[in-house]
Amino acid sequence: MEKGFSLRKFAQLVGVSPTYLSQVEQSNVDPPTADRVRRMAEILGEDVDELSALAGRLSEDLPEIIREEPKGVPDLLRAVRGMTADQLRRVREEAERIKRDEEN
Amino acid sequence: MARRSFKPESTPRYMQPQDFETEVTVLLAEYGKDHGVVTAPPIPIDDIVEEYLKITVEFRDLRAEYPEGDVLGGIYFQEKKIAIDLSLVPEDFPAMRGRYRFTLAHELGHWRLHRHLYLRRAGERALLSNLPARPDHVLRSGDSDRKEIQANRFAACLLMPREMVKRAWHEWRGSMDPIYLDDLNARRQQILTAEVLRRGGFKSGDDAEENMLLEHAARPLAETFEVSPDAMRIRLEGMQLLLRKKEPSLFE
Repeated sequence: MEKGFSLRKFAQLVGVSPTYLSQVEQSNVDPPTADRVRRMAEILGEDVDELSALAGRLSEDLPEIIREEPKGVPDLLRAVRGMTADQLRRVREEAERIKRDEEN
Repeated sequence: MARRSFKPESTPRYMQPQDFETEVTVLLAEYGKDHGVVTAPPIPIDDIVEEYLKITVEFRDLRAEYPEGDVLGGIYFQEKKIAIDLSLVPEDFPAMRGRYRFTLAHELGHWRLHRHLYLRRAGERALLSNLPARPDHVLRSGDSDRKEIQANRFAACLLMPREMVKRAWHEWRGSMDPIYLDDLNARRQQILTAEVLRRGGFKSGDDAEENMLLEHAARPLAETFEVSPDAMRIRLEGMQLLLRKKEPSLFE
């Protein structure tokens, strides 16, 4: 582990077997469930979404967000696809500004 | 020793018994600076390998990967990685905890004592990197070339540091008096029966019974240091705390 936990200690904190966790690290088995990825991110102090993406899992709240607006949200995601991190940040800030203005 | 295509020519330097103690003292002092001084057993071998030295540990089915030998552990110098066989993982096989720790410490011994012999030739090896990945060094049961012996000694010193063993012995026995084989002979049959039952078998060989008696005596400290009774027995014999004969030894 990069963040200063031994494999066995980290496995214990996450609540999985060290053998399983090692297989995950070696990509020999499917990635852990979203729940476990969340737990790992919390222990490591990493961003849950980022770690989930690395693990090939979506954060649990995302399917719900898409279902709430099944046309608009996927359209938005497709529109921003391929943008740089900086462009995405500006889009997000704009989105937050629009929400704020609507509320006032 | 694995059959390898690029066996380095260089042999490791000769090391005196004291050299291993020094190597281990240095390593524990380095570790202690950032991770807290280790004052009592068991030695945190996983933390030393992974958290301090940043060597990756993988649990793998080595016996299936290398069917030609009884492989328990291996080290990949360039990838800075140690692989340990699944059969040793303590969470799955609690009885193997001592063997697990010793194997990890043994591979770490190769890292500390022998990696320069391999990394020097890293350039040549990289040119042929399409070869299947083989560990640079593997531990098999019953291995015995000089590097293997050195890695074993390193592992023994690291997991059972001399001063800590002395202190533990004194706390346990109330003095630094050794235990003699003769002291155990009074209860010989009782001890042997208990040991055979516990092990579920009997290892044959000239010294098998004597070893079993001495390992019985070594068990309490083996628990404290989280090593196998035979590793503890060998260390205590080296420190003259377990003795087969009443005569004082001229060696060490």
